[in-house]
Amino acid sequence: MKSRTKKKSEPSTWRDLLPNSSRRPASKTAMRKRSLSFAKSALVVICLGMVGVGFWWGSQRDVYETVLLWNKMDEPVKRVTFESDGVLDHRWFQNWFGPLRDRTLMQIDIDDLHSELIKEPQIAYAQVRRIFPSTLEVKILEENPVLVVRLGKKGGGVQDWMISADGDLYQGVGYTRQILSLLPSLSISPKQLQIDPNGRGYRKLEGISFVTPLLELARREYPSIYRDWKVVSYSDPQGSGPGSFVKVNSGKVKNIRFSPGNYAAQMKRLKYLLLEPDFRRQPIIESIDLSHNRSVFAKL
Amino acid sequence: MSKIIGSVEIGTSQAKALVGEASDNGNLRIIGMASRPNEGMRKGEIVDFRKVASSVHAAIAEAEKMSGTTIDSVYLAQSGSHLKGRMLHGSAYVSSSDNRVTTDDLERASEEAHRRQAGEGRNYVHFVRTPILLDGQVRDDPVGMHGKKVDLSYWAIDGDEQSMRSSIHVISNYNIEVADLIVSSIASATMVAGPDLRRAGTLVIDLGAGVTDVVLYRQGFVAYSGVIPVGGDHVTGDLSMGLRILERYAEKLKLEHGKAVPDPTDEKEEVWMVGDRTIGDRSVSRKAITDIIHVRVAELFEIIHKELGDLLSPEDLKGGILLTGGGSQLPGIEQVASKVLGMPVRKAGFPPGIDPELAQPENATVLGLLHYGLQDHSLPGQRPEEAQAGFFGKIAEMVGIKP
Repeated sequence: MKSRTKKKSEPSTWRDLLPNSSRRPASKTAMRKRSLSFAKSALVVICLGMVGVGFWWGSQRDVYETVLLWNKMDEPVKRVTFESDGVLDHRWFQNWFGPLRDRTLMQIDIDDLHSELIKEPQIAYAQVRRIFPSTLEVKILEENPVLVVRLGKKGGGVQDWMISADGDLYQGVGYTRQILSLLPSLSISPKQLQIDPNGRGYRKLEGISFVTPLLELARREYPSIYRDWKVVSYSDPQGSGPGSFVKVNSGKVKNIRFSPGNYAAQMKRLKYLLLEPDFRRQPIIESIDLSHNRSVFAKL
Repeated sequence: MSKIIGSVEIGTSQAKALVGEASDNGNLRIIGMASRPNEGMRKGEIVDFRKVASSVHAAIAEAEKMSGTTIDSVYLAQSGSHLKGRMLHGSAYVSSSDNRVTTDDLERASEEAHRRQAGEGRNYVHFVRTPILLDGQVRDDPVGMHGKKVDLSYWAIDGDEQSMRSSIHVISNYNIEVADLIVSSIASATMVAGPDLRRAGTLVIDLGAGVTDVVLYRQGFVAYSGVIPVGGDHVTGDLSMGLRILERYAEKLKLEHGKAVPDPTDEKEEVWMVGDRTIGDRSVSRKAITDIIHVRVAELFEIIHKELGDLLSPEDLKGGILLTGGGSQLPGIEQVASKVLGMPVRKAGFPPGIDPELAQPENATVLGLLHYGLQDHSLPGQRPEEAQAGFFGKIAEMVGIKP
C-alpha cells in the first residue's frame, strides 16, 4: 500500500481513514482467516524455535558436526578400524566382511553387520559405528576358551574345538599352536556331546560353567600348577554328592580329583601338598583326592 | 513475475470480488470471481456493518478459493450519494532559464491544485487529471517543451468520511489492504468505454440496485461524475407499493416481465405474481407493471438530464451515451433514456477477450476496478508510485530505501 509522509498542505484523502489496528473479525470467514493466519504464524515460530533449539543442542554435542558432514555422506568408505581383545585381527575381518566395493557408510547396514558378528561363536560382544565421512569402526570382545576338545571329522582326521567359559563349543580361528598347547583338553564321553539341530556344531555343555571357576582360578593364581594340567574330565559337576567331581590329569600328578565348589580351599591344599618334601621328591604322583571335605588322599 | 491483485465492489444488492493475475507485459487474466447477496446496504451506503462484512468476506474467500491463491490487497469501489465532484485548478510558471517545462513544474502545478481541502467531515476519494495546458494549449506531455505557464486541473471527488471509513474497514477487517479506492462510475466506464470513445466524448450511466453512477468524458478526460440516489431497488419499491405486493414478488415481476417502454399489447396481458396459481397467487396487469417502471425510469433520466445541464451537448458527446450495470438489462430502457436525454443511447458492450460469463453489465464495475487500478495515472515524466510488496517491502519502506 502506498503510504507517504503527509505534508501540511496536502488535503485529507481516503488514505487518512485507514485503520491503524485491525478490529475484532466481523464475520465467520474473517475469524477463520485470522485463526488460520495465527496458526500459521505460530507454526512458523515453533519451527524457528525448534531449529534454534536444534542448533543450540547441536553446538552442545557432536550432532552439529555430523550435520555439517551430511554433505559428505556420499563418500565411499576409506578406512575400517578393527579392535579385538582376542586373537581375531583386521585381516580376519576383511576376509569375513568381503570387499567394500566403494560402498558409502550409509550403504552399509551396521545393524545387520552387528547381528552377523554376534552370531559368530568366537565373538561375545560387538560394536559397529559409522564415523563420518568415511570410517567404519568395529570393536569386538572375544570368547575366552578354557578348554579344547579334539573330535573326529566326518571325512576323517581330527578337529580341535574350543570350549568357552559357559560351555559353548566353537571352531576357533586365529589361535596359535602356543595358545592351544596351554589349554587343557577335555575328556568327555561321546554321549555327552549332542549335535546342534541348527547345524552349528554341538550343543552347549551345561556342566562346564561349574568347572570354569577352577580352571580360571588355577590359571590366574597357580600358573605353575595350571601349566602342567593336560586333561580335564568331570561328572555331575553341578551336584554335591559323592559321584560329583572334576578330575584333572597332569604331568606330575596323574590324577587330581576335585569336588565341585570351594575350589579356592582345594587349590590351596593342592599347592601345600606339592610343596611337601615327600611330594617334591616324587617325579610322578599317582593321585591326589581333594574332594573330601577335611581330608586329602594321596597315592605316591 | 506476475502480480496477484483483487477488486471488490460492495454493491447494494450484491458483493462482488474478483482475483486477477497481471503479467509483466500488462496482460490481465481473471482467475477467480465470486458474488454474494448483500443485505446490509441501502442506496449504496452501509447500514449494517456485520451483514456487509459477512457478504464481502464470503465473496473474497470464494474468489480466493477459485483462484487457488490469496490476495494481499484489493482495489475497492466507492459509490453512494454522498460522493461529490468538483474541478480543482493549479498552475505554475516554468522555472528553468531556457523556459523548458520540467517535471518539477508539473508537480508544483499539481500541488497547487491539491491544496484545497475537501471540507469538514469529508475526504477525497479520487483526483482524476484533466488535460495539461501549456500557455493555454492542450498538451499530452509538455515536459521538455518551451512555454511560460503550465495549467493543471483535477476532477476531485470527495465523500463522507464515515461512509468511506465503513467501506475501508470491511476490507481491512479481513486482513487485506486497500490498494486504491476508486469511484464506481469511473471503474465501470474504464471497462465499457475505450480510449477512443472517451476521447470522442461519452456519458456512461451505471444503473445499480441502490444508486445510479454517472461519468462524463470529454477529450478523453473526466469532466463530470455524480451519483443519483435512485436505482433498481426504487423500481422494485414502486412496484411493491403500486401493485400492493411483497417486495420479493415485485422484484420477480420486474426481472421476468418488466420493461421500460409501454406497449399497446400489454393492456390485455395478465401475468401471475407467484406463478404457481395457488392460494395467495394473483394476476397483475402487465400494463400496470410497465407503467410503474416507465415512470420511475423516466424520472431517473430526467434527474440525470437536470444534473448534467449544459454538459449534455451532442457536439461534445460524439461517443454517445452508454448504459451499463444491472439496470441496463431492463428491456426498452435505452429508448426511454434516449427520449429524455435527447441523444442516442445504447447498451454498453465489453472489449473482446473477456469471458462471456464475466462480460455482463452488472460486472462492469468490478472488472473495471482491476483495469483502472493497474493503469499508470502519474504525471508525465513522473515515476509511477509502486507499492512495496510484502514483508521485505515494508521493511525497506520503514528504513527509507526506495527502489
